[in-house]
Amino acid sequence: MFWHSFKYAFSTLIKNRALMFWTLIFPFALALMFNLAFMRLHDYDVFEPFEVAVVNDAGYDKAEIFKEAFKALSEGDERLFNTQYVSKERASELLENEEIEGFVYIADDEPHIQVKKNGSNQTVLATAVEQIMQSSQIIEDIATQKLSESPMAYLNAEQIYQNAVATVAEAEPNVKDDSRVMNMVVIEFYTLIAMSCMQGAMLSSEMIDRALPKNSHRGKRIAVAPTRKSVVVASNLLASYSILLVGVLALIAFMRFVLGVEFGANLGLICAHAAAGSLAATMLGMFLSIALKTNSGAKNIIVIIITMVGCLFAGMFGGQKGWFDSMMPFINKISPVGLITDGYYALYYYEDLGRYWMNLGGLLIISAVFLILSIRGLRRQRYDSI
Amino acid sequence: MKTIIEVKNLVKNYKSKRAVDGLSFDVMEGEILGLLGPNGSGKTTTMNCILALLKFDEGKIKIFGKEMAPDAYDIKSKIGVVFQDVAVFDELTVQGNIDYFCGLYIQDKNTRAEYVEDALKLVGLEENKTQYPKQLSGGLLRRLNIACGIAHKPKLIFLDEPTVAVDPQSRNNILEGIKKLRDDGATIIYTTHYMEEVEILCDRVIILDKGKIIASGTNDELKSLAKIEEKVTVEIPEMNPKQIGALEQIKNVSAVSYENGVLKLVYNRGKNNLADMIKYLDDNKIQYNKIFAERPTLNDVFLELTGKELRD
Repeated sequence: MFWHSFKYAFSTLIKNRALMFWTLIFPFALALMFNLAFMRLHDYDVFEPFEVAVVNDAGYDKAEIFKEAFKALSEGDERLFNTQYVSKERASELLENEEIEGFVYIADDEPHIQVKKNGSNQTVLATAVEQIMQSSQIIEDIATQKLSESPMAYLNAEQIYQNAVATVAEAEPNVKDDSRVMNMVVIEFYTLIAMSCMQGAMLSSEMIDRALPKNSHRGKRIAVAPTRKSVVVASNLLASYSILLVGVLALIAFMRFVLGVEFGANLGLICAHAAAGSLAATMLGMFLSIALKTNSGAKNIIVIIITMVGCLFAGMFGGQKGWFDSMMPFINKISPVGLITDGYYALYYYEDLGRYWMNLGGLLIISAVFLILSIRGLRRQRYDSI
Repeated sequence: MKTIIEVKNLVKNYKSKRAVDGLSFDVMEGEILGLLGPNGSGKTTTMNCILALLKFDEGKIKIFGKEMAPDAYDIKSKIGVVFQDVAVFDELTVQGNIDYFCGLYIQDKNTRAEYVEDALKLVGLEENKTQYPKQLSGGLLRRLNIACGIAHKPKLIFLDEPTVAVDPQSRNNILEGIKKLRDDGATIIYTTHYMEEVEILCDRVIILDKGKIIASGTNDELKSLAKIEEKVTVEIPEMNPKQIGALEQIKNVSAVSYENGVLKLVYNRGKNNLADMIKYLDDNKIQYNKIFAERPTLNDVFLELTGKELRD
């Protein structure tokens, strides 16, 4: 009986074009679109240094640390700036003529920036100057306390460079440093996998609707048959879960081998996370089907809302994952989308698997909670009204 | 004859509204019992209570001598249900749908294949078996709905308004199929608000209104409850009030109406009523066309008992 029911559940689901499109095909299309959108990032093999000026006056002469740091950022192949050292009048003139993106001058022993407009170059300049300021403070403290013979050795131009680039990467992804840009890009793809898993809740919701007399006419027909409800529900769930999992794994394979998205090397855990994410979504769909007496369209809208809000918190729509993680850390700890995304992120970025296991465990707990709540609803055998 | 279903004092409330009000009846083996009543009279609710789909507030229901319950799988295995709403899978062919629902009862594949073929034949869908439900007309879809409910050859069949919105050809096919199921030994509960179908099909009829049984019996027993004996309808292009008044004086006439060129006479008893009326028309040189005479219908019975039409 189980396999009879499974066979037809699988066959009817796979032929449901609308559901198959939204849960299986659409994520592939979105992955392609993401790839096209982010492809440009990889074209920026070299960060283009831009023109700036430094006012070369008495204040500048006195600012030893600033001089050294800015010089370091203006030299070599991997420099940030093409720097001209000029008078303040000349710097203003260059800025007015848009020959430079901005200039820096020292007043009251502090660097100040003059820009004409806002943009990523101006952000890089501002961040670099701010980083130099912070480094200056550390170096001055070391010098004052005589902690080192050569305090200038603590000036880390490389770090300033990295931070400036990373700052812009958060605001605008068109920057050089591939490893940092990937922070954002892979999260986009990971949230897409999470979205794909979550859309699977529509499959299980539809399949449970079919099995319950309160939700569909077919459910009434099944309810009067001498077949245990648990058998039909379990076979329908297995059918929807199998289709979903195959779809999600295919999506991951597509991202990894066709689009070149990095997931790390642990294939078993990559698949296990897809299985856990799909399971959580399947259980959510079952719970919605049992808890709500609305039509499947309304349930699908609820699934989409849960998914998209989860995607927002998980960072699908820009680099806000970190902000949400710091401001509302619990959201991504209870959202299946957050747990799926962060699990893949942890798998790729961290050697230690602790964070990954936390996410996997979270997904299993969510699945168990929805399963227990659903079983309570499923145990009802007769209805007040249908 | 064995009692297949026993319903005793069934009461079902939807919040403050009483949908079924103390219903008691038996269904005997091999009969077609008609549950007749207007929409909202409690027919479907009664059926859903019997099938253990709905909770009920009072009463007892036994099927095949055992108390019906949601987990009474031995009873359920002998029951077939055709619900009012078409309940099939759009993604499966006609044959696939029948096989799926039959498979919930019959596990053996070979037996099932035979049963599916028999069901296709019964409803006349052999030529449509590879088609999908969306490719079928409304009538054929209804036939598929029936096939899905009866393919496993049940001993007891519930048919809930199976002919709603079907074309005459499909209706005839469905009614013939139902008669064949009875002839093959099935006991059938047939709910409808089409009195003509009940008159054609049912051995016994229960008339429901507002959740109560207002009458029950065979067709003839029910019709004997009607005070009228005969209804005559005559197409007459023109009549004046004086002539209509005169018709009321004819022997045994209990009511006369004339509207849109149609004269209707109701007789409460007697013989030769038609001859008397024709004589009056001829004597008064009233031109007339077609004349119809009919015996009282179940609708007349319902009208007399409730003061409203069955299809109201």
